[in-house]
Amino acid sequence: MGVTPIRPGELAGVPLGRRPAEPIIEIDHVSQVFKTSSRRDHTALSNISLSVEEGAFVSILGPSGCGKSTLLYIVGGFVSPTSGTAKMKGKPITGPGTDRGPVFQEFALFPWKSVLGNVMYGPLQQGMNSAKAEARALELIAMVGLTGFEKFYPKELSGGMKQRVALARTLAYGPEVLLMDEPFGALDAHTRTRLQNDLLEIWERDRKTVLFVTHSVEEAVFLSDKVVMMSRSPGRIREVIDIDLPRPRRREELLLDPRYQNYIVEIERMFDDSGDNELPS
Amino acid sequence: MKGALKHLSPALACCGLLLTWQLASLGLKNDSFPTALDSLRAIPPILTDKEALINILASLRRMAIGFALALAFSIPLGLLMGRSRATAAFFNPLLMLVYPVPKAALMPIIMLWLGVGDVSKTLVIFLGVSLPVIYHSFEGAKAVEEKMLWSGAAMGLSAGERLLRIVLPAALPEILTGCRTGLVLALITMVTSEMIARQSGAGNILFNALDMGQYDTVFAMIIIIGAMGICLDAVFETIRRWLVRWSEPQFDMPLSFS
Amino acid sequence: MITTRTTNEWLLGAAPIVLVLLLWQGLVSFGYAPATLLPPPVQVFLRMGQQLASATFQQDIAATLFRLFAGFAIAVVLGVSIGIAAAVSPPVNAVVRPIVRVLAPLPKVALYPAFLLLLGFNHESKIMLVAADALFPILLSTYYGATIVEQKLIWSALAAGTPPRDVLWKVVLPAAMPSILTGCRIGLVISCIVVFLAEMITSTDGLGHVLVTAARTFQAVDMFVPLITISLLGLILNGLLQGLRAYLLRGFPSV
Repeated sequence: MGVTPIRPGELAGVPLGRRPAEPIIEIDHVSQVFKTSSRRDHTALSNISLSVEEGAFVSILGPSGCGKSTLLYIVGGFVSPTSGTAKMKGKPITGPGTDRGPVFQEFALFPWKSVLGNVMYGPLQQGMNSAKAEARALELIAMVGLTGFEKFYPKELSGGMKQRVALARTLAYGPEVLLMDEPFGALDAHTRTRLQNDLLEIWERDRKTVLFVTHSVEEAVFLSDKVVMMSRSPGRIREVIDIDLPRPRRREELLLDPRYQNYIVEIERMFDDSGDNELPS
Repeated sequence: MKGALKHLSPALACCGLLLTWQLASLGLKNDSFPTALDSLRAIPPILTDKEALINILASLRRMAIGFALALAFSIPLGLLMGRSRATAAFFNPLLMLVYPVPKAALMPIIMLWLGVGDVSKTLVIFLGVSLPVIYHSFEGAKAVEEKMLWSGAAMGLSAGERLLRIVLPAALPEILTGCRTGLVLALITMVTSEMIARQSGAGNILFNALDMGQYDTVFAMIIIIGAMGICLDAVFETIRRWLVRWSEPQFDMPLSFS
Repeated sequence: MITTRTTNEWLLGAAPIVLVLLLWQGLVSFGYAPATLLPPPVQVFLRMGQQLASATFQQDIAATLFRLFAGFAIAVVLGVSIGIAAAVSPPVNAVVRPIVRVLAPLPKVALYPAFLLLLGFNHESKIMLVAADALFPILLSTYYGATIVEQKLIWSALAAGTPPRDVLWKVVLPAAMPSILTGCRIGLVISCIVVFLAEMITSTDGLGHVLVTAARTFQAVDMFVPLITISLLGLILNGLLQGLRAYLLRGFPSV
């Protein structure tokens, strides 16, 4: 195996200024079983344990149907696990909270609110006065590059723009962890690349903890400090790989970097070996 | 130019229909089928007759009250049913049983219990409007994207706040479609129950004229009631468009009429 | 996640129906409502069994069903053909659209006196009213279903050698079928309601007439029987249509 897993605390490739690694999210022996109409129950997740250090960008990578999104929803508190516990900063997760902000593939913007209204929603909900909330929202709208679109309704935006709004809306209320559920999955290749670059740039400013679900190997390697590879039926963690690439990352540099290419080839080979990708979902 | 034509086309259609009527009645030469012109001429006397006008206005007032009460009751119920499987399972079979009951047909029974007053008439309209509004609110609330509710929950909205501030606006286009159907149904129920009860109101005027052989009055009343339906629908549609201007354009005519 | 209807939900759904029946019985038993105004449920159902066995009541049902089916059939034929025509032909659309916009919100029951004057007090005027009322939901859903048929479906059929004039029958109509059947279902329930109302307003036979006669003589029991009969008819017809729908749409993804 070409990739040597690096133990936590040994993330030597990560540049200076990093806080000492301590788990912000701990997933402890989590299983999720769905009842189906047929007699056989569907085990979406089987005995998952994982811890995520504060400030880390962690991707959960796997074929469709491996339960990777379900794992994210459990951390979000949207779904409760059949067994096991998930903890946020040592406290068991019992429901959604403003400390964990989701960004969904489906955008889930409020269609009856303008861009500004969507981004202001969270700050207002937290009791910020409207002038302050608006200032905060405008700042974030500028950060995701949508200045000038404040008055637009979601239906008037392209997919990429909608996802930028969704990101701004979530960042606006200052969650400690970002939970991103295949956020770029519904976008075309070009838009996807641009959003990946922009997300990385935004993230590298304040290094919020990110849990990022994807089925794209390149996306996972490009963005993450750590890639959690999952297999399906039942959903299990098969490997955790530390991505030891320097930051800030620039796509044009990485594409030429043999280490980057090596990670991708290795991960793809591991998926191919299991023959996991061709099963009907 | 093309936009203006599109705007005028319903008016054109009205004229076309009246013209067809005029030609048909001239061609048929039937005593009991007055021409469109004769019928139109019979409208002003009805609308200036004080008693008839009071009757019609009283009908409209009952209709408005019945409609408003039905909305106040049905929208929250529909939304709750759409968001809670247990609530839906509880009410659905009962509503399915009640669905094919002709509401205006309950008029004789309700009159037996509550008399011929405003209460009976308003109650029948309330019953007639409720079902489509419940149904559409239910469908609208059921279709609200789960991820949208999750986003709200992550921002700290409680379950009650989510129902009010996410489910209600998100289901609004569908709710308003139900209201539009309900509005037309309120008018239908009102007229029908008046036809059955034969006490007062537009439906009663219509059948009294029929009994007395005043055929131009019959057709004039038909035009009046028809115009009420078309105008109410047009006004409501304008309001609806404005309220849900943010939503993706939908098919512009409600598909369900019951 | 596949959702299934569990036994619990059936029980939950049966609860309010049982409650209504209990409340009904209770109101009578505890003397809150005199039996002349609200007959006890048992009496109503016994009377219903009696009536169903009687020849006159059967004739009333037959008269109602005949008007219902005749009107509904006319509405289906007209609604589906006009709906499809308006969807595939722009000139037809230009004519039909404004007319439908005007006529759809018009309370059709107001036209009933006109039908009476033109077609007489027999079957025809009632059939006409049923057809007029059931037409628009069927027409509108057909039109809607046919306009959202994917262009690529038609292209695929043409590429596979379907003659252009057959596309209508072989592609558009089947593809619009789910929507057409939804319209038919709404139309059918409306037909049930309207035929009953028309018979109540003026008729010499039919279920609606039975109700009016009972109301004139203050026979509360006999007022409930036709109402329950028409609701049951509505449910049975709806169930039959659901069965037909399940058969016709066996290839479509379930909704």
